Amino acid sequence: MAHPRVDAIVEQARAAVAAAQSSSDLEAIRVGVLGRQGSLTQLLRSLGTLPSEERPLVGAAANVAKRELEGLLDARLAATAESERQAERRRRRLDLTLPGRRPPMGSLHPLTRVHDEIVSIFAGLGFSVVEGPEIESDYHNFEALNIPRDHPARDMQDTFYLSDSTLLRTHTSPMQIRAMLATKPPVRIIVPGKVYRRDVVDMTHSPMFHQVEGLAVDRAITMADLKGTLELFAREMFGPRSKIRFRPSFFPFTEPSAEVDVLCFACHGDGCRVCKQTGWLEILGSGMVHPQVLKNVGYDPEEVTGWAFGMGIERIAMLKYGIDDLRLFFENDLRFLKQFA
Amino acid sequence: MKIPYSWVREFVELKLTAEQAGERLVNAGIEVASVTPLAPDLKGVVVGEIEAVERELGQGHGGYPLFLCRVSTGREHYSVVCGAPNTKVGVRAAFAPPGAVLPGGRRIAAAKIQGVESQGMLCSERELGIGEEHEAGILEVPDARPGADLVAELGLDDQVLEVEVTPNRPDCLSVLGIARELAALTGARMRPSTIKLSESGEAAKSLACVRIEAPDLCHRFTARVIRGVTIGPSPSWLRARLRAVGLRPISNVVDVTNYVLWELGQPLHAYDYDTVADATIVVRRARTDERFTTLDGQERVLDPSMLLIADPRRAIGLAGVMGGANTEVTDRTTRVLLEAAWFAPASIRRTSRALGLRTDAAYRFERGADVEGLVTASARAAVLIAETAGGTIARGVVDAYPRKRKAQHVRLRMSRVKRVLGVAPSPAQARKVLAGLGLAVKSRGADLEVTVPSFRRDLSMEDDLVEEIIRVWGYDRIPSTLPGGAISLVTHPISLRQGQTVRRALVGAGLAEVVTYAFSDPARAELVRRPADPKPVELMNPLAQDASLLRTHPLEGVLGAVSTNVRRQQADVRVFEVSKTYVQTAGAEPGRASLRPPSAGAGLTDPATTEPRWVAIALTGARGEGGWSGSPQPVDVYDAKGMAEHTLAALGARAGSGDAGSLSGFEPDCHGTLVTEQGVIVAEFGEVAAALRESFGIAAPVFAAVVSLDAVGATSAAALSYQALPRFPAVERDLAFVVGAEQSLTAAQIESALREAAGPLLRRLVLFDVFRFPDGRSSLAWRLLFQAEDRTLTDAEVNAIQERVVRRITETFHITLRSS
Repeated sequence: MAHPRVDAIVEQARAAVAAAQSSSDLEAIRVGVLGRQGSLTQLLRSLGTLPSEERPLVGAAANVAKRELEGLLDARLAATAESERQAERRRRRLDLTLPGRRPPMGSLHPLTRVHDEIVSIFAGLGFSVVEGPEIESDYHNFEALNIPRDHPARDMQDTFYLSDSTLLRTHTSPMQIRAMLATKPPVRIIVPGKVYRRDVVDMTHSPMFHQVEGLAVDRAITMADLKGTLELFAREMFGPRSKIRFRPSFFPFTEPSAEVDVLCFACHGDGCRVCKQTGWLEILGSGMVHPQVLKNVGYDPEEVTGWAFGMGIERIAMLKYGIDDLRLFFENDLRFLKQFA
Repeated sequence: MKIPYSWVREFVELKLTAEQAGERLVNAGIEVASVTPLAPDLKGVVVGEIEAVERELGQGHGGYPLFLCRVSTGREHYSVVCGAPNTKVGVRAAFAPPGAVLPGGRRIAAAKIQGVESQGMLCSERELGIGEEHEAGILEVPDARPGADLVAELGLDDQVLEVEVTPNRPDCLSVLGIARELAALTGARMRPSTIKLSESGEAAKSLACVRIEAPDLCHRFTARVIRGVTIGPSPSWLRARLRAVGLRPISNVVDVTNYVLWELGQPLHAYDYDTVADATIVVRRARTDERFTTLDGQERVLDPSMLLIADPRRAIGLAGVMGGANTEVTDRTTRVLLEAAWFAPASIRRTSRALGLRTDAAYRFERGADVEGLVTASARAAVLIAETAGGTIARGVVDAYPRKRKAQHVRLRMSRVKRVLGVAPSPAQARKVLAGLGLAVKSRGADLEVTVPSFRRDLSMEDDLVEEIIRVWGYDRIPSTLPGGAISLVTHPISLRQGQTVRRALVGAGLAEVVTYAFSDPARAELVRRPADPKPVELMNPLAQDASLLRTHPLEGVLGAVSTNVRRQQADVRVFEVSKTYVQTAGAEPGRASLRPPSAGAGLTDPATTEPRWVAIALTGARGEGGWSGSPQPVDVYDAKGMAEHTLAALGARAGSGDAGSLSGFEPDCHGTLVTEQGVIVAEFGEVAAALRESFGIAAPVFAAVVSLDAVGATSAAALSYQALPRFPAVERDLAFVVGAEQSLTAAQIESALREAAGPLLRRLVLFDVFRFPDGRSSLAWRLLFQAEDRTLTDAEVNAIQERVVRRITETFHITLRSS
């Protein structure tokens, strides 16, 4: 169904497509042949001027040619565009090893991290958080906790005084007194906060540090419950293989008192540098609330029993992150802080 | 406290090694810091006698003359060079012949000194590693046989336990106490007492008299008299024991009192009997401003809270703390009056602290001595004095005991043991434990009736016995359970929730959280203090003058952190802190705080001081990390403001620009605030005042923001509520206005007028461009977004609004629309 006029256009177009170098050449051919002013379009438009017997022939041939050329152009265009994109990429040569454009990264202080972790573990065990003043009365910090004036137990905590009767709290334990005075049993609280001791700064001492106090008072609460609770805590904090042990100790406001060690997680008890060859790491002090302390807040020690513990957040953070110098927490060198981003 | 293990074994039959004994003690609550050999690595050192000093060799290192001596070890003779000041013919001393080994693996060989061969070395305590003494010369062992092995001779083949005793257990501050504890823990037998008192002559009662005028402070005072003593050095074994526990040998009588203090825990004092007027001891309170010279030669000014030992004429001892120079035992002493007494702990502690005089005696008395055991200690010391200084012990003891101790009985319910511990041993087991500790136990039905001995002052109530039982029975027998009881809602205070919100927001915004000391430098506090401010909270006993106040300004902490980092070559610092300042409430002095809780319902805080809570933010250097794609801009005040806005937004607080702030420490022309609709200032921001910044040694500008968490907490955060998304397209219009150079007009003023004029169809208003022409005029450009909820806005509608807005703004502020 050829027609010489159509054939001529097709021949020419085929040759042009074959010779085309780029997608823009091909676009030019498409415009030149199939565009509004294109040769084939013109031919189709001029059908009316042809003899009537020739019209269907030319029309049919032109439509066939149009489809053929469209297909040809599309195929060539696709191929050319692809090779052109590749060429363009080669030209741009992206070095994808260049660093990415990152938003600035902040960092949570390691003490906050540990604080939050402790709070969330105990919240899971039903402990509410209570916070209290750092400037305390001698009564709450010492007297009510069974540490009278002129008692050698006061040597255990060297104190910053603001006056004869006010001081910077040496532990979070005064909040035991405040919380119990404010509510009736049962009590189940933890008290995180800053505490102060008159210790010169060195690798393991700081005049200010952070503690978390825990207190549970109820009708039937035992030292075994204390052990079970702290065991759960240790597993959450230091990993599922953690074990703890109780050692007798002395705190004036608990009886019996226990120092709590966690199995060294660096050596699992074999003895290493971290645990000074003992296999155990001391993490907190605890005990059954002293009956006199319960009486001091108006609780009846025959009605309720309770236990309390206090742990140093710095101590836990040092163990958990392998930090060997307490001063790093308060120097706030960004190179230290950014390690906890 | 150092406890030689061999000494312990004089009291108790133990089959354990020193390490095992130490471990057993630790498990029972007596901390043992270390167990170390007394004389590590001392080999071949013997007793040598200086037979002759042959000649002087000139001066040695210390400027002392060097001598060539002949030293005998009985069988062998050595030529030895020695420069010790106590080099003398007849002296028997520690001698390391060639081949001997001193601490640190130092092997002795013959060596040339000043051209003369020295065959070995005469050694000082320090050279032997058994004490600190060196200046006094070589270690003398006068009563030892030449050639004897020094380690065996001085009992150096021993282990020393370094025990740390908690304040409740003064009974363990002695060799006897540790022995008793080990006997209780292991079931080992205590050895019977070896004190063989041989008294003669006149009765002590006829030789001395004791009168206690302050029986509240001195419950008991005993005196013994030993006559015919010769003061001199103690025998080697005694000196070695004292050295082993870190005490310095002085003379036989004094050494004995120290020895018995260590052995039995009872402080003793020996007076020169002939210096005590009328041989009469008066125990009385000091008079106001009474002056007294203690043994150390210091004159002390006393007050009536302090207890004195006196004779009828004058003070002769500071009771329980230190003896007096006027009655001290000297070389000329022949008769000794030996004191063994019991003083009230609190009084001793007050006196010792008030005078800054901490002695071994005071340490024990303030914890509580054994009022019954002191008689034994006195006898033991008398025997040892007679043994080491000669003399005879007068018959009997003068015993003034006005406040006789009452027997202490405690009833223990086995049900209480179970109630407290969650576990209990059988009653028989419990009896055995308590009996092993030296307590007398009787059964009373299901309960135990316990009588507490005088040396356990810490056991006064039922739960004390519960602890004793579990301490000995073993803490590892306590099972692990979880508390039962009702479940109640877990609640966290707003302070905690705010802190967590702020930290999440600011860490997300690229800031590093810091934690800083709450102490402050008075010079710096002065710098940020405004005239009306209350006095800062001051420490009575600060560690250092520049840390003697509590922080008064919320920025102190973060500026300290900036300073640290800038000094360490980190110029870009973006940090925040959630912190407190400390304020004395107007009119209240901290000294007024009551000793007792103000009322039964006392709250969680006291009113005398407040501790306002803040978020403090400090920024300096560049805005971001920077990198290959361009260097970031330096931070400016709008970064600080943005952080404050970001913090407030996170906290759910709505605030807009407000008037001048009230905090000090900002540059006056670069200090803004954010206020709530109620007019409460919730944040302040600006450029940190140069003077403040320079006081931290920071050279670069620092921009800071402070958010008051208390103020934010007091405003109610709007509850979150959903608003339908727009369904019709929005129309955007940009409007730029030119403000004259002389006009003091703020963006906030224009913006608020824009909003008002634009009406409810204005959905969003963004200031997107600000710049200043060279002539000082500024251009501010806003993008306005209009949208209706129920229809597509037409151009005509928006044009009408725009015209209204432009007219209103240009007329109100006399500024012009910038033609594009």
